[in-house]
Amino acid sequence: MEKNNTPKGFPAFHVEIIPPKQDSVKLEDDLTLFAAKFERVMASGFTASITDNAMGLLAFQGHECIEELGLKARPGQVLIHLNTFHTKETLEEILTACQRLGIFSVLAISGDGSPRLPKLKPAEMEAEETEAVTSVELIRYIRRHYPLFTVGAAFNPYEPEKHEFEKLDRKLEAGAAFVITQPIIEKNSVVDRLLQDYPELPVTVEAWMSKKLYLLSDVVGYPIPEDAVFDPIDTLRRLRDIYPLCGTYLSLLGFKTQYELIEAMSPERREAR
Amino acid sequence: MKIVVCVKQVPATADARIDPETKRIIREGTKAVLNPFDLYAVEEAVRIRERAGGEVIALSMGPENAKNSLIEALSMGADRAVLLCDRAFGGSDTWATGYALSKAIEALGGADLIICGKQAVDGDTAQVGPGIAARLDIMQAANVSKVEDVDPGHIRVCRSNEYGYDLLRLRLPALITVLKDINIPRIPTLKNARKARQADIAVWTPSDIGADPGLIGLNASPTRVVKTEPPALRDSVTLHIDGGEPEKAAAALAGELFGRGLL
Repeated sequence: MEKNNTPKGFPAFHVEIIPPKQDSVKLEDDLTLFAAKFERVMASGFTASITDNAMGLLAFQGHECIEELGLKARPGQVLIHLNTFHTKETLEEILTACQRLGIFSVLAISGDGSPRLPKLKPAEMEAEETEAVTSVELIRYIRRHYPLFTVGAAFNPYEPEKHEFEKLDRKLEAGAAFVITQPIIEKNSVVDRLLQDYPELPVTVEAWMSKKLYLLSDVVGYPIPEDAVFDPIDTLRRLRDIYPLCGTYLSLLGFKTQYELIEAMSPERREAR
Repeated sequence: MKIVVCVKQVPATADARIDPETKRIIREGTKAVLNPFDLYAVEEAVRIRERAGGEVIALSMGPENAKNSLIEALSMGADRAVLLCDRAFGGSDTWATGYALSKAIEALGGADLIICGKQAVDGDTAQVGPGIAARLDIMQAANVSKVEDVDPGHIRVCRSNEYGYDLLRLRLPALITVLKDINIPRIPTLKNARKARQADIAVWTPSDIGADPGLIGLNASPTRVVKTEPPALRDSVTLHIDGGEPEKAAAALAGELFGRGLL
């Protein structure tokens, strides 16, 4: 995922895959779909970026889907998201299972809680001096106890800038080795500053692949009209022109309609054909 | 140790609607979930079995789709599940439900320990658990926040009260209802969730449990709902504070809250 280890400086895509929900009434169908998406991403040479109870909705963990379905995680092609809403026991289980599966990339995020999800405690993360566990404590803990892992962090260009950069410094000090931004849809001055001030830091920018742009309202902090016209593929092309040295994280990617277009954008895939 | 854990399927809180005519909760077309308090009951039952051995049986009464709640209990580690499902059970209040569940427990050959959630979030009565214990004429403790220990003949629990807790030693068989403080319910693993969805859930009718038809269902339920309505929505105001500096933003926020008498 780092920009210096991708072919010809053209980073692979991170394709977000959301595991089946815990309350799925068609679990086997959902697992079949998960497997198909995962295998397609592996075959494309992209990175499968697997979420962890996204938006606080209870889902199965990525590692258990991979293990239970007998999928093969290709080296360097799987990124597991890990948030702070776990018991210590579960956290250890996830990290141990990832090692067993040959997955050594983790995106550590604070995450969205829900009444059903427990929260890691500071003492469990050896961070008694803090009141609550954030991604900073999680990153430090993983780096301390699982040194083989490369740990990434989130970067939110919509937060107050000074605060976000201070937080970024704490994440980097804790051991974060790369960052993934919140979705951007055009040139972003905060991301520009990030690239300028941290030239060695691998940065992946998130591209919003849903046509429903208004769903981003909560992320960007201002209302986007429901009828806002948005072309995700066109925007993605523009983003890759604007940030050619950054990786691209694709959230809510349509596998039926958009995936082939994405593959066509990847030079290594074009060459393979 | 044979443990029966009683669970109920309830409407998801955010989706709950009330029929203005009948004053009853509209269950059709509403997302249903396992009663949140029952998650703690299932977790405690599974933990006791993991320590003391034995079997956990999840028991529920409701329509066919209440199986989903039993599947969740199985996913969490219950060994088997039984659903009381028949039109004759329909409309049962806490009195009739307590009777039906107690008859089912008898049909299961009894239990050493029965665990219920503190209450169901749809009715909020907290009556069914104690009702079962009364029907079975066994010891009970409501609002249990901790199980200290269990041996073949007794269970020691902390029962919360407004000043702290009582430490109680109950002779088995007994029934406890549990609070959310008691544990952190596990999130089912994919392996267990898949296995649970394949499990055979026994479906029992009144005759399977030897229930007196005159003691179940709407006609056997003395409760009359006179009036039920959702609480009035509170006015909400979204206030954006442009502080720039965190200290200034915090001061502005505190000023607003003080000004509105909220701090």
